[in-house]
Amino acid sequence: MTLKELYQAIEGDYDDVMGRLPSESLVKKFVIKFLDDKSYELLESSLKNKDFETAFRAAHTLKGVCQNLSFTKLYKSSNTVTDSLRPGQLQTEDIINTQFSVVKKDYDKTFLTIKAYAEQA
Amino acid sequence: MSENKVEKILIVDDSEMNRAMLTAILDKRYEILEAENGEVALEALNRHGADISLVLLDIVMPKMDGFEVLAVMNETRIIENVPVIMISAENGTSHIKRAYDLGVSDYISRPFDAEVVQKRVNNTLMLYAKQRRLVEMVTDQIYEKQKSNSILVNILSHVVEFRNGESGMHILHVNTLTNILLKLVCQKTDKYKLSESEIDLISMASSLHDIGKIAIPDNILNKPGRLTKEEFEIMKTHSAIGYSLIEEVPYNKNEPLLKISSEICRWHHERYDGRGYPDGLKGDEIPIYAQVVSLADVYDALTSERVYKPAYSHDKAIEMISNGECGAFNPILLECLQENGDLIREELKVNSFREFDKEEIVRITDEMLKRDLVSEDDSAVKLMHRD
Repeated sequence: MTLKELYQAIEGDYDDVMGRLPSESLVKKFVIKFLDDKSYELLESSLKNKDFETAFRAAHTLKGVCQNLSFTKLYKSSNTVTDSLRPGQLQTEDIINTQFSVVKKDYDKTFLTIKAYAEQA
Repeated sequence: MSENKVEKILIVDDSEMNRAMLTAILDKRYEILEAENGEVALEALNRHGADISLVLLDIVMPKMDGFEVLAVMNETRIIENVPVIMISAENGTSHIKRAYDLGVSDYISRPFDAEVVQKRVNNTLMLYAKQRRLVEMVTDQIYEKQKSNSILVNILSHVVEFRNGESGMHILHVNTLTNILLKLVCQKTDKYKLSESEIDLISMASSLHDIGKIAIPDNILNKPGRLTKEEFEIMKTHSAIGYSLIEEVPYNKNEPLLKISSEICRWHHERYDGRGYPDGLKGDEIPIYAQVVSLADVYDALTSERVYKPAYSHDKAIEMISNGECGAFNPILLECLQENGDLIREELKVNSFREFDKEEIVRITDEMLKRDLVSEDDSAVKLMHRD
């Protein structure tokens, strides 16, 4: 699997990330580094504990990282839940949970695809 | 800061991933420090101070967020020397405006472009370095200007002192006392609003208070015994003469130094109760600076030795002044004098004119830049406009 194919598989924007970051090797390095990023786990656990303040920060970080890596699909779902967790604009738990399940689906797909990509490399 | 030193950039972001990306983009040209939240960032700022050339700051962070960091940087005025570029996934205009209101130099939205980040960082660093150089130039110029002004005033007042056969310390003491008393009175009440640079100007002008004595004949000025009534009347003309001398200087008509020194000459023998000369002004009809010089003049005469009297102690002098034996003064000024005996004695011990210390000049420059008072013909300012 090439990096471009990885981006296609996770519905990211390969051309966009290559346009913003200086080299493919750097993009590759950070895509693999994404496996170590703890913001998704923090989002999941803080939602379980109903700690919405921490959940907001975690979702916000996740969305920022996805934005920088042009993980478009995961960016969109994490952005949606970020807005629902925003202090002062907190939505009902039902809405948040529904939105989070989309994030979970997108994250799992992204994570597993990158893992496979990292192992073959 | 030396030009060839590698500049330090502090990256503040709670996501290790984001910090690593920015580091990868910038570490070829700069030394990178990292902080994972606002608290750690402030620690780094306190430790490294202006050694940090620039801060890249995220907004949403645990413990202390980016806006709180900016608030502290404003309070401590670190932000005046260390520029901040905000980098955030928050793209709402309210966040961006708030960041600019808190003094950030630039705002970069995620997702960022590596080259744009490099360019903006570089531009901000250059702008700040340039501004620092210009402020230093202006500061040096003001320092030199103040210094030569005060040397000239010192020469002039020394000439007068020499002819009066005075101790040589009187003008220095009046200058020092004027400075202290003005600072004290401004702390005590906001009735008289004087900036630090105005207080410096007045202190300098105080040196000329007796310049009118050059027109008093030698035989009266240096008469060993008591003056007759007629002689005393002639002696009294020195205040109005001093005023006219300065008033009639044919150039620099609008210079504050001329206005203030001429008024000090004219009114430093007025009395708060209206029974002084030459105009019989009363209370605050007498400008505060003339009131202060008048009190400083009397206080120093009492506490210094003269051929006809010993040097009185601070307490004795205060007693005589408060009794009304030596004139009538503004009660607020008397309080300042009474309450600060130790300070005044200490300051008068220093037998030299106050050197303008660098810090004071920096504050004065700052004040001038803020009030936009640096006049258009100042060459440093011209340079700044040309740039």
